[in-house]
Amino acid sequence: MRPCGVFDKSYTLDIAIIRTWQHWVILISALILLYIFPLFGSYYLISLMNSLAISVIVVLGLQIVTGYCGQISFGQAAFMAIGAFTSSILTIKLGFSFWIALPLSGIVAGAIGIIGGAPSLRIKGMYLAMATIAIHFVVIWLILHLEITGSFKGLFPPPPSLGGFEFDTDERMYYIIMTVMFIMTYAARNLSRTTVGRAFVAIRDNDLAGEVMGVNLYYYKLLAFFIACFYAGVAGSLWAHWITVVDCEQFTLIHALEYVGMLIIGGMGSIPGVFFGVLFIRILNEVVMFTSPVLAKALPWLGTSPAAALGLTAFGLAVVIFLIFEPRGLAHRWEIFKASYRLYPFAY
Amino acid sequence: MIGFLQQAITGLMIGSLYALVGVAVVLVYKSTHVVSLAHGQLVAFGALFFWLFFGGLGIPFWISLIPAFVLTALMGLLIERLALRPLIGQPLFAAFFMTFAIFIVLEGIFVLYLKGESRALPAFLPTGNIEIYGISMPINQLISFFVAILLFIALSLIFRYTKVGLGMRATAEDHRLAQSAGVNVRNIFSYIWILSAIVAAIAGIATANVMDIYYMLPYIGINGLIVAICGGLDSLPGALIVGLFLGVVENVGAGYLDPIVGGGVKDVAAYVVLLLVLLIRPYGLFGLVRIERI
Repeated sequence: MRPCGVFDKSYTLDIAIIRTWQHWVILISALILLYIFPLFGSYYLISLMNSLAISVIVVLGLQIVTGYCGQISFGQAAFMAIGAFTSSILTIKLGFSFWIALPLSGIVAGAIGIIGGAPSLRIKGMYLAMATIAIHFVVIWLILHLEITGSFKGLFPPPPSLGGFEFDTDERMYYIIMTVMFIMTYAARNLSRTTVGRAFVAIRDNDLAGEVMGVNLYYYKLLAFFIACFYAGVAGSLWAHWITVVDCEQFTLIHALEYVGMLIIGGMGSIPGVFFGVLFIRILNEVVMFTSPVLAKALPWLGTSPAAALGLTAFGLAVVIFLIFEPRGLAHRWEIFKASYRLYPFAY
Repeated sequence: MIGFLQQAITGLMIGSLYALVGVAVVLVYKSTHVVSLAHGQLVAFGALFFWLFFGGLGIPFWISLIPAFVLTALMGLLIERLALRPLIGQPLFAAFFMTFAIFIVLEGIFVLYLKGESRALPAFLPTGNIEIYGISMPINQLISFFVAILLFIALSLIFRYTKVGLGMRATAEDHRLAQSAGVNVRNIFSYIWILSAIVAAIAGIATANVMDIYYMLPYIGINGLIVAICGGLDSLPGALIVGLFLGVVENVGAGYLDPIVGGGVKDVAAYVVLLLVLLIRPYGLFGLVRIERI
């Protein structure tokens, strides 16, 4: 986002993500603000930020596989579960430290994601979307029925620690989660500009045409699934060690649908869109959470605790409205805003 | 052997319900090319509307069927008019996402109405068992099985021999060609949604006859979608055959594997079947293989 009159005078300037010194100022001050936030944020806000950041990581993965590579995946919640349980097993049963378990759980989720993504070589579109739903249920069923995952009781992973310092509160966990989110965002933003990212976009736009032009479908589709599931696994690991309780109730099909909804509302094929989508849905959820007791008092037929059901309805309606009126998501609005800012004060 | 047959027959009864939902999904896909997740909710609401009039108000069975069908058909019509029609011309994924958003909206309303309780339909079909060669069959399930088969035959006949059916088949082939040949495509879309909503409502009522109306009921619709996809999205016989097959696999699998793995095979059997079928035949068992052009 730059005002008019700023030109790219060299190649490095042209490919830079951050182009002007004002951007650097905004970025650095935003980062500082992000890191000193726990000093003045309330307990509620901090835990909200934590869950926001974890959702952002999951949806970033989904953005890569669905938004960039065009392979619809409803399995993100299941792969998050795989990450969470892998991390828990590694730390509880095998005695790994959190810092090794975090990337390992991402890799394990990614490896299983390759198996999950394997059908994408033969099937596409709705068939693939349905297959990922099937994978979701199979994974959750396996987790429920295997001995090692604690079955119905779930697992209780310890909070991470570093040299005797325990990250056992929301504020302490906040720093880890935010750092990981920042690294993951940076990686995703850059990935979309590399050969890999362009290959993904080629597959999304027309896989046959992409193949004719020399994109190895076999390799890139599986890579997209690996990356997406890696993101989900890392997010799951963070979630496990933040909440310190993992069970299958935290990773249902509704969660997977919610992640896809965030992607739609944010806008496909855009990294800022992920943030918009996650923020929009979470804020909507919080608004419903706060208004539902009032509503329940005013309208007794809603029952005593309509929050969950109302949240679902509001979320679904938001997706419906966005699909009809702004199918390209909030990211498209953001692009329009950027364009008009760049042209200001001229009309075009 | 008797044990196996017993389980297979029971599975066949349940499978007929899956087949009905699958047929409803296939109906919509065949002519509008929308894969609908929303049918799970149409099933649930069909059962709920029926309960409201039959169980709640105590209206006789045959009369309370009418408002249940009308209301569910209205729901299907509204979904088509308000949500899916604005998406004509958009990529197909938009429509698929739309149906899942509708699924979630209706799920919220369904949960809101039930408030975590369940509703049981009073028995409206004769109870008791028939015994044939040592295999006992509940009469009410047998009736819903035959209703499903009859409904399927009726739908096939409508598709094959009526003018509306011809229009539906033409629309399924190509929207623009059908339109230029004088088929009112928009009306056909409405008819299709009404028809498939009524089929879904029948499936819902038949399901509610076997189990209570509770929060898991919409997920039967996901099984219906699995049936439709396994059978090939554009094949009505495929939906019927796979639906019956799936019911048998679920029941027999549960009967034989549950003791080994410790229960819950029923919840996952359908998904495993789906994955296997898609890996072997990516367009479903009876689906039309589409040849893509760039």
